[in-house]
Amino acid sequence: MIPGNKDNRDGWLFSIPFLLVFVLFMLYPLVYGFVISFFKWNVLSDKVFAGFQNYISLFSDEKFYTSLWHTVEFVLITTPVLLVIGFLMALITTSKSPLKKVAENVFFIPYIFSMTVVSTLWAWIFQKQYGLLNKVIGLVGIQPVGWLTDPNWAMWSVCIATFWWTAGFNMILMSAGIKQISSEIYESAMIDGANYRQSVFRITIPLLKPTIVLCLILQIIASFNVFGQVYVMTGGGPFGKTRTIIQYIYETGFSYFKMGYSAAMSYILFFIIMIVSVVQYISLGRKSNE
Amino acid sequence: MKSLKRIAIVMLVLCCMTSLFAQGASEAKTSGPRIVTFWSLFTGGDGEFFDAIIDEFNKTHTDIQLKNDTVKFDDYYTKLTAAFAAGNAPDMIVCHQGNLLNYVPSGQLLALDEYLKADNFPVSDFVAAPYDACRFDGKQYAIPLDVHPIIMYVNMDLLEKAGIKEIPQTMDELIADGLKIQEKTGKMGIDIDNTTAVYKAYTLTRLFFSFIYQQGGTFLTADNKAANFNNQYGYKALQALQDMVQKYKTTPAGLDYDTAMNEFKLGDAAFYFNGVWATGTLEQQAGLNFIAIPVPGFMGKPAAWSGSHTLAIPAKANIDPEHVKDILTAIDFITGHGEMWAKAGHVPTRISVQNSKAFADLPYRKGYADSAASAVAPPTTAAWDEIYGTCSDLLEYAVVNGQPIQEALDLMETTVNKIIATY
Repeated sequence: MIPGNKDNRDGWLFSIPFLLVFVLFMLYPLVYGFVISFFKWNVLSDKVFAGFQNYISLFSDEKFYTSLWHTVEFVLITTPVLLVIGFLMALITTSKSPLKKVAENVFFIPYIFSMTVVSTLWAWIFQKQYGLLNKVIGLVGIQPVGWLTDPNWAMWSVCIATFWWTAGFNMILMSAGIKQISSEIYESAMIDGANYRQSVFRITIPLLKPTIVLCLILQIIASFNVFGQVYVMTGGGPFGKTRTIIQYIYETGFSYFKMGYSAAMSYILFFIIMIVSVVQYISLGRKSNE
Repeated sequence: MKSLKRIAIVMLVLCCMTSLFAQGASEAKTSGPRIVTFWSLFTGGDGEFFDAIIDEFNKTHTDIQLKNDTVKFDDYYTKLTAAFAAGNAPDMIVCHQGNLLNYVPSGQLLALDEYLKADNFPVSDFVAAPYDACRFDGKQYAIPLDVHPIIMYVNMDLLEKAGIKEIPQTMDELIADGLKIQEKTGKMGIDIDNTTAVYKAYTLTRLFFSFIYQQGGTFLTADNKAANFNNQYGYKALQALQDMVQKYKTTPAGLDYDTAMNEFKLGDAAFYFNGVWATGTLEQQAGLNFIAIPVPGFMGKPAAWSGSHTLAIPAKANIDPEHVKDILTAIDFITGHGEMWAKAGHVPTRISVQNSKAFADLPYRKGYADSAASAVAPPTTAAWDEIYGTCSDLLEYAVVNGQPIQEALDLMETTVNKIIATY
C-alpha cells in the first residue's frame, strides 16, 4: 500500500480520479501538442518530421504577426478599462448606497451569459443598417457608423461588448478584496478628516494592491486568449483587421488541417503569455509584499 | 466502523464509474431491417427538408432503414475528421464537394466505380458538371446531391418602376440598369456584399471567381500549383467589382452579408447576388415580387461559382459489397427525390428530377435550374480553404478602399502562391 500515515493515503486515494482526468486531458495534450509542433501533420495521414520548420515558417508569416498584434491591441485596450470599471463597480457594491444589491446583480448578470449569446446580441446592436445603436444616434442626426465593418471601429466595438460582458468578474474579485479591509481604518481616517476621494486613493487602492495585481494577471491571460466574441462579431474582419492569434491558430489547425504549424503557433503564444505573466508577477507581486 | 464507511464510499464511486462504460451495450444482430448509419451536416431549414427525405425513405423501405448516428452539430468537419482518425465513421456521410479533398488522398473514402457498375446505378441521370466534380484521379468518390451556385435575384417591381424592360446581359447593361434604378427609384442598384461582419463576404470572391471563368480563364493553373488570375481576366473582373463601389456607386462600401440580404428582402435593392439558399428566406417575404435566374454571362459565357453537397461512403476494411449496395440504394433514393430537397433552395443534380412536374411546380426553382450546367466547382486542392478565405480578405480590401487594381492582383498572386507552397 502507499506508505505514510493514513491521511496521506486517503489524500492520494481521493485525488486519483481528478489526477487521472487532469493527466489525460490536460498534461498529455500539453506534451503531445508540443511534440506535434515538430511535425507536418494533417490528422489523417502519417506525421512527417519537420524539425524546427514550423517555427521558422511562422517567423516569416505576416499573418502570424498581424494576428498577434490584433490580440495585443485587444489586451492593451481591455485590460486597463476592465480593471477600472471593475474597481468602480466594486466601490458601488461595497458602498452604503441602498442600490448596492441591485447594482451587484446588474453588474454581474452579463457574465453568466454564454459567449455566443453576448456576441450575437452585440453584433445586432452594432449592425450598421438595422442595429439599435445607429438608430439611436440617428435620432440626434448622426450618420450610421459601421461599428463592425469600419476598420477604425471594429476592434473598439468588440472591446465594448467585452466590457459589458466581463467587467462583473473583476468586480467580484475586487469587492471581496475591499470587504477584507478593516472598517476601523476607514473610521479612523474619517475622524482625521479624510474625504471620500482621499479614502479611496490613500486607503482602498493601496490595500487592494494584491487583488489588483491578481486581476491584472488573470485579465491579461484571458485577453491574450480572446477568440469567441471577435470570431462571432466580425469573423476577423473587415478584411482580416480584427483576426486574433487564436482565430488564426484555430483556422490553421481545424480549417486548413495544418496541425503541426498550428501547434507551433500556439506554443509561441504560450511562451509569450508565460513571460508576460512572470514579468508582471515579479515586478508587481514582490513589491506588494514589502 | 470507519474503515467500513471508507470501503462503502470507494465501492459507491466505482459503481458510479461503471456507468461510464455502459453506453455500447449489445451489438446483437437482429433479423430486422438492415441499418445504414449516416451523418449529416444540415441544420435549420435545410435540416428539416433533409429529415423529411430520410423519413420518406424509411417509410417506403422495409428491408433497409436509415439511421442518423449522431445529433446535429456545428464543427461537422472537425468531428468527421476525428471520426475518421478514430476509425468509427458511419456508413454514409454528407460532405461538401470542396471538402472531399481533405479525405480522398488519405484513402478515407471508398472509390465507387465498381460498385456503381455492379449496381446499375443511374449514372447517366446526373448532370455532368457536378458529377465530374466528385472524380479525383479518375475515380468517383462521391455522388452529388445538389449544386448551390451563385445566382442573380431581380426585384421585378423596381425594374418596372425604372422602366427597364429586359434583364441585363452584359456588364455595361448591368451598370447602366443599376444607375437607372438609383436615379428613378432611389433604391440600391447592385446588391453585392463586400465587407465581413458576422458573416464572411464570400460573395465578392465568388463573383470574382465566376467572372474569370466567364471570360474563359481559370483561378489557378491546371495543376493547381499557382495562381492564374493575375492577367487580363482578373483585371477586368476586379475592375468591374471595384467600379460598382468606387466609380458608379451602384453598391455602397462596407456592405455586409446580413444588410445585403435584408435590403433585397425589404424591396430596397434591384439586383442581388447570392447563393440559391437565399431563395427559402426570400420567398417567405410577402409582397416581394422577384425572379431568381442563373448569373448572366456578363463577361462572356455563363459561369458561376458553385458549392455542392455530396454523399460519400467512408472506406472500411473488409467492407461488404452487399452493404455498399444498400447504401447506394439510399443514395439513389435521396438524389432521386431531389424535388423534396429543392424546397431548401438547392438545385437537384438528377436530370429526371429537373424535368419532373413536382420540381417545376416549386416556385422560382425552375428559373435557376439551368445554373447547374454552368456551375463551376472550386479547384480541387487541399490549399483551397486557405486561398479562398485569404483572397476574400484581400478582395474586400481592394474593392472597399479603391486599391489600384494591378497592385491588388500582384499582392493576391504572391499571397496565393505562398499559401500553395505550404501544403
